[in-house]
Amino acid sequence: MIISTNWLADYVQVPGTVDDLVERLLMSGLNHESTTAVGDDTAVEIEVTSNRPDCLGHIGVAREAAVLYGRPLHVPDPRPLEGAGEAARSIAVEIRAGEICPCYTARVIRGVKVGPSPKWLVDRLATVGVASVNNVVDVTNYVMLESGQPLHAFDLAKIRGGRIVVRRAGAGEPFVAINHKTYTLSERMCVIADAERPVALAGVMGGADTEIAADTVDVLLESAQFAPLPVRAAARGLVLASASSYRFERGPDPAMVDWASRRAASLILELAGGSLERGVVADGTLASAPAEIRLAADRVGEVLGVDVADARQRQILTALGFVEIRDGGPHEHRWRVPTWRRDCWREIDLVEEIARIEGYDRVPENVAIAARPIELSARERTVRRAAEVLVAAGLCEALTRSVVTEAMAATPSPWGEAVPLVISPPLVRGADRLRRSLLPSLLEARAGNAAVGVDDADLFEIAHVYLAHRGGAAREPVEEPLVAGLVVGGDFTRAKGLCEALLEGLGIAGGEGRLGWRPLEIAPFARGRAAEVLLERPGRDPDRVAVVGEVAGGLGSTGSVSAAEVRLDRLTFAATIERRLVRPSDFPAVQRDLNLVVDEGVPWGEVEAAIRAAAGSVVEDCRLVQVWRDADRLGAGRKSFVVALSFRSSSGTLSGDEAGEIVAGVVAECGRRVNAALRS
Amino acid sequence: MTAVPLDTFRAELERLRADAEAALTVAADAAAVEAARIEFLGAKSGRLKAIQKSLSGLAGADKPAGGKQFNDTKNAITACFEAAQARVGAGASGPAASAIDVTLPAERFRLGHLHPITKTIRRVQEIMGRLGFESVDGPEVEDQWHNFEALAIPAEHPARDPLDNFYLAVARDADPLLLRSQTSTVQIRVMENREPPLRIVSLGRVYRPDTADATHYPMFHQVEGLLVEPGTTMAHLKSVLRMFASSFLGGDVKVRFRPSFFPFTEPSVEVDMEWGGRWVEMGGAGMVDPAVLEAVGYDPDVVTGFAFGLGVERIAARRYGVDDIRDFYRNDVRFLRQF
Repeated sequence: MIISTNWLADYVQVPGTVDDLVERLLMSGLNHESTTAVGDDTAVEIEVTSNRPDCLGHIGVAREAAVLYGRPLHVPDPRPLEGAGEAARSIAVEIRAGEICPCYTARVIRGVKVGPSPKWLVDRLATVGVASVNNVVDVTNYVMLESGQPLHAFDLAKIRGGRIVVRRAGAGEPFVAINHKTYTLSERMCVIADAERPVALAGVMGGADTEIAADTVDVLLESAQFAPLPVRAAARGLVLASASSYRFERGPDPAMVDWASRRAASLILELAGGSLERGVVADGTLASAPAEIRLAADRVGEVLGVDVADARQRQILTALGFVEIRDGGPHEHRWRVPTWRRDCWREIDLVEEIARIEGYDRVPENVAIAARPIELSARERTVRRAAEVLVAAGLCEALTRSVVTEAMAATPSPWGEAVPLVISPPLVRGADRLRRSLLPSLLEARAGNAAVGVDDADLFEIAHVYLAHRGGAAREPVEEPLVAGLVVGGDFTRAKGLCEALLEGLGIAGGEGRLGWRPLEIAPFARGRAAEVLLERPGRDPDRVAVVGEVAGGLGSTGSVSAAEVRLDRLTFAATIERRLVRPSDFPAVQRDLNLVVDEGVPWGEVEAAIRAAAGSVVEDCRLVQVWRDADRLGAGRKSFVVALSFRSSSGTLSGDEAGEIVAGVVAECGRRVNAALRS
Repeated sequence: MTAVPLDTFRAELERLRADAEAALTVAADAAAVEAARIEFLGAKSGRLKAIQKSLSGLAGADKPAGGKQFNDTKNAITACFEAAQARVGAGASGPAASAIDVTLPAERFRLGHLHPITKTIRRVQEIMGRLGFESVDGPEVEDQWHNFEALAIPAEHPARDPLDNFYLAVARDADPLLLRSQTSTVQIRVMENREPPLRIVSLGRVYRPDTADATHYPMFHQVEGLLVEPGTTMAHLKSVLRMFASSFLGGDVKVRFRPSFFPFTEPSVEVDMEWGGRWVEMGGAGMVDPAVLEAVGYDPDVVTGFAFGLGVERIAARRYGVDDIRDFYRNDVRFLRQF
């Protein structure tokens, strides 16, 4: 909303400077956008929140200024002189869509002389950025910008059949607006029609062939009320927003319907001559039973934390146009809400009115708040710990879009088979699928870095992924696992190492279940180069907690690329486990190296499991040193694991004999489980 | 002349040894070691020399024991001196044969970096945590109740327009789902499941169909605070935000409220903080609207509360000098490694 300060002065004499006015309006709820000098006038652009349609006209803003400066507000009371003829004989009005148009009024002015507007009018409109058209159209714009009530003037001669019908549009009905574009209407929209066709799109824009032209002699002046939703739907549906639709979407003061009509009629008579026919032709009623609100005397203090004197409260509300009803007791007042303030209907709304005029600088800012102990949730601790480990490992945190392209969404999710959910509109061009895995996004981010010559972008992200429930019977149709994804240069072992470090950091490796690594084939990983990590906990089915692998094709970059995705939401339990010290043993460790020969198909994991099972808790370290193959010395299809073992007891020094016994047990168990032979 | 008592002599030696060891242990360079040597071992007026004189004053029978202790002390201080000398490298001149070029490149490990948005959120969480606000998160795909209705945004409200939200194309007749447009949804979920008193910060990604430009992105982050306790006033809100501002921006920062409008607070205000000598809009706030308290089953006559929301990107952009918020989502490691 742009305000002309010269225009504002018609209604209130502001004693201070424009800057002072702007500051006071800003601090009472009308945000300042800009101040611009226009000739001898000043244009002040203010932001009006959607609850304050009363400030979409100069009178409403003047009322605010009058309250803030304690000055009287002068609102004209137009009484246009009525001449010969009955308006009701010139036009009939019928509302057939009362739910969209509760009230429609028409006045008729005959014998006008359409021409240029006087300088004062042209100047004022120019200040607020409205181009002058002619004296009649300018008056309708002027009165809208004065009162907030949109008006429309028709050339009465072009209205066919002597009647105005407010009705829903027919499906596909064409309409040519003042901008000379043709719009195709739908039944959800409301039109002002004559006996034959639409002459205006209700509350949005007039029609081209009934507009006021140089040869117009008789004017039909419309002032009506339209419901916000249908006006918005029509304006948005046709991409045809106007100053009129903007106001009707927010709900102008119903009392202004007649006032604006009288005001415009007066000004047209004054500027374009002619004669006003007697009466106003109307259909419908203005629903505006004014609300009454009780305000307890101490309520303002209870909300603000600072008292405002009773007399001051009453002064503010009265100045804003609220009317005190003198039957409240000593501890409360009753107030009738003015017609232009339908945003106020509860006690708390009156409290806000008093607060914003009194000024929030009166609210104290040094009140004590009682201490309250809190703790980070297990989920929050898990997220932080995961980020900590990955940052320590040298990865940078990325933030990629939750919504991806169809091509990216085609990568299967490690967490479920449901198809990706689609949103409308797309988040950005082409991206309308909620992602089911972070990896496509992180791979794209890594490729983006490579494109600018950074080949070593090791990235991670912690975010939700989105999985539709299959079947749809569930009450919550979307599951949102919290996952950590990572993409790094290097082969499988690098991603596996990061994944293990992450799990260790989260406290998973410490005996609260067992981790199993199993081969997995799933995109975007290369065949035979990926694994799933299963967490086995007592009394539960194994849970897939991570997938790890080398990325197929390595992104076309020089080296290989590996990635992992970890289900943090399945690991938060570890954050709640109380850690107890296991005292390190003071007794010396005994080292033994073994060379175990097994068939090619035996995975290391099974050998390690056999070793640990046989040796039990004295195994301090079980490290694979080397894998070698030599058909001549080991036999075809055989391989050798060279293992460095370290044993340590917590209860005494292990003797050579004891160590020998442990090793013998290990060898026997490896022989039994995986047919391993000791090569000495 | 009376003989010097052996105990006195021994005590003097003990003190001397303690002093000398203390001085030589802390001596940081060759000059300090040399100064200590002169003080304690100096041939002319060193303190050891002075004590040696009283050795002759001991009774004859005490002399062997006194002499032994004197020699032990002298040896100990000398050893300590030599150790100190070796430590500071005194006595050597010219570069050692094994000297290194200390400007040679280090064997570095690479440090990772948290995203500046995460760092900003953590900072807010940390400050609010000290004020007793607990961090919570919640789903990003929301229903109409949590994103709108419970927040006093009725069906006809423009904020629910399909063009202004990312609705999901799943069949769910009367209750379409959408990507949440604000993190207040989490506050509703917490209030539905817990009783006051309540202090939480909800945080995370939110989504609104804005065309991406230097100051807008269709996905961004919010941090929202909520306090619900009996007797809460706007003075509590202002005081908490001032404490937050002072902690976040440093110093005694001023906070100012400007009236505004949000469906879920009443009164509603914009919050400005004085940053770099001017008022900067940090977010919106207000007293929780009684309709919201009723929607979650609280009695607005018994409890009141306040809520505030901060736009994380805006704060992070200003804090780190990022003039285009799209940079936060480009994931260029040359950008990420600076934080």
